[in-house]
Amino acid sequence: MDTATKDKLILNKKNSLRYDLTKNAFAYRAIMPYVVFILVLVVYPVVQNIIISFQVDGAWSFANYIDVLFDPLFHLITINTIIWTVSCVVLDFLVGLGLALLLNQDIKGGTIFRTIILVIPWATPDIVAAVAWKWMYNDMYGVLNDILMKLGIIDEYLPWLAVPNLARLAVIIANVWKGFAVSAMFYLAALQTVPQELYEAAAMDGANSWQRFTKVTIPVIRPYIITTVMLTIIWTINYFPLIFTMTNGGPANATDTFVTYSYRLAFRFLDFSHSTAVSNINFIIVFTIAIIYTLSLIGKEE
Amino acid sequence: MKKKSWVKSIVYVALVIISGIIAFPFIWLIITAFKTYPDIYAYPILYFPQNITLEHFKYVFINLGFSKYFLNSLILGVGTAALTILISVLPAYATTRFDFLMKKPVLLSILVCQMFPQIVFIVPFFLFLKYTGLINSFLGTMVVYLPFTTPIAVWMIRNFFADVPKSLEESALIDGCSRFQAFYKISLPLVIPGIASVGIYTFIFSWSELMFSLSYLTSPSKQTVPVFLSLFIGQYQTRWGPLFAGSVVASLPPMIVFGFLQKYFIKGLTSGAVKQ
Repeated sequence: MDTATKDKLILNKKNSLRYDLTKNAFAYRAIMPYVVFILVLVVYPVVQNIIISFQVDGAWSFANYIDVLFDPLFHLITINTIIWTVSCVVLDFLVGLGLALLLNQDIKGGTIFRTIILVIPWATPDIVAAVAWKWMYNDMYGVLNDILMKLGIIDEYLPWLAVPNLARLAVIIANVWKGFAVSAMFYLAALQTVPQELYEAAAMDGANSWQRFTKVTIPVIRPYIITTVMLTIIWTINYFPLIFTMTNGGPANATDTFVTYSYRLAFRFLDFSHSTAVSNINFIIVFTIAIIYTLSLIGKEE
Repeated sequence: MKKKSWVKSIVYVALVIISGIIAFPFIWLIITAFKTYPDIYAYPILYFPQNITLEHFKYVFINLGFSKYFLNSLILGVGTAALTILISVLPAYATTRFDFLMKKPVLLSILVCQMFPQIVFIVPFFLFLKYTGLINSFLGTMVVYLPFTTPIAVWMIRNFFADVPKSLEESALIDGCSRFQAFYKISLPLVIPGIASVGIYTFIFSWSELMFSLSYLTSPSKQTVPVFLSLFIGQYQTRWGPLFAGSVVASLPPMIVFGFLQKYFIKGLTSGAVKQ
């Protein structure tokens, strides 16, 4: 590129920027507080979190990450986080879509069912949901053991929150109860975008209801499913109050996730260096998943 | 036709059973809150208690000062909602009305902020609040909630501005309104429903938030309902009565808000989340 064109380009760019700033002066003034806020309250803390995680006694170092990554406890917590996230996301998807399909039926009293099924779990504050489930799981006075005994599913009371695998199952069930409603709402909104004519046309071609579901419903709501699943993954990995209240990561760290572990490091042991290292690892994982999903979404659309 | 009514009754029965299962944990919480202590620990479990008592509610309000925590939560929720709306209305407006170079970055920041885990901020905000002296204050806690409420608020309000016809403002501008007056007098009143749903969303977020409030609101005079409940569990593992009474009361504001406004609110939220 010769200098003349280069100068011209720079000039153009300058002009367009100046033009943009004058023409849209109102817009720039309007977003100013938001931009300042993003820089001070989002960019700065994120950068600071990274800096803290790379420092040991005031010097730059990878030591915090090395400590964390080679710690067997961290390996267990990684496995826990994977089990927790995958189970919750799959169940939220299945329960959410299933209930959205049911609630999408045009029946009498639909609003009442909608209110009970979607609003009660969602509107219950996290801590209250945790309290309610903790009490239901109580090994001696818990109602769950009693009901399961009466139904003949178990033949002795189970110590739900005291045995590692049971505790894992217990927090997952409680979280699905708390979380499926958001998925169901999104799927319900999605189902209402499916044109009725498509069903009629499919029915005329002799498609049964399962075929109508897989050939008409699913393709139409596919983009909504992808968005919802992505959001559920992010929310589940980052979800804190339920596990913190019900088990605080126990028994024997079986329900510890990146988030509860990082929190405990920071506020029980005041070990900010390792806490920030763990939270940054968590952040990188969430971010990678989000990027992959977004890219695949863009790729599919083109 | 015959088959259709048969399907309908299956759907109906399924919905009744599922509603029962889903409502159960909450109903059980309410029943337990009204049980006497002997009934709470009764064996076999009492599903339909004979003696209903208000002792746990009295205890939690009179002996444990629950109304103070309730008031703290209200202040924090209303304050967070007000601050969020204040910051998010103008960028929402600017990014729907103007085509400027910074528009894309602003919209991208909304998306990216959704991905930031709260845990990444816990240590930096702690240091920030300590440094500014805002630790253990409502204002400080409101401020650190903003990264989690503002981006989604911009997104939700944008959808409402998009529905306001541009021609309304154009005629106001011709009549001699300034740019700001056109925004303030013409468009803003029309997006009040959007602002209301943002207010609700933010209030509920703040109402149930635990991680930040537990870490930053350390003195009992500033603690919120979730913090109180969380500390109560830690201290008195077995005193379920007051814990349940407090939990029932804590659920009332969000339940009432959602009960009345659910249809409207769900519309605002889902249209913001799934419309690309």
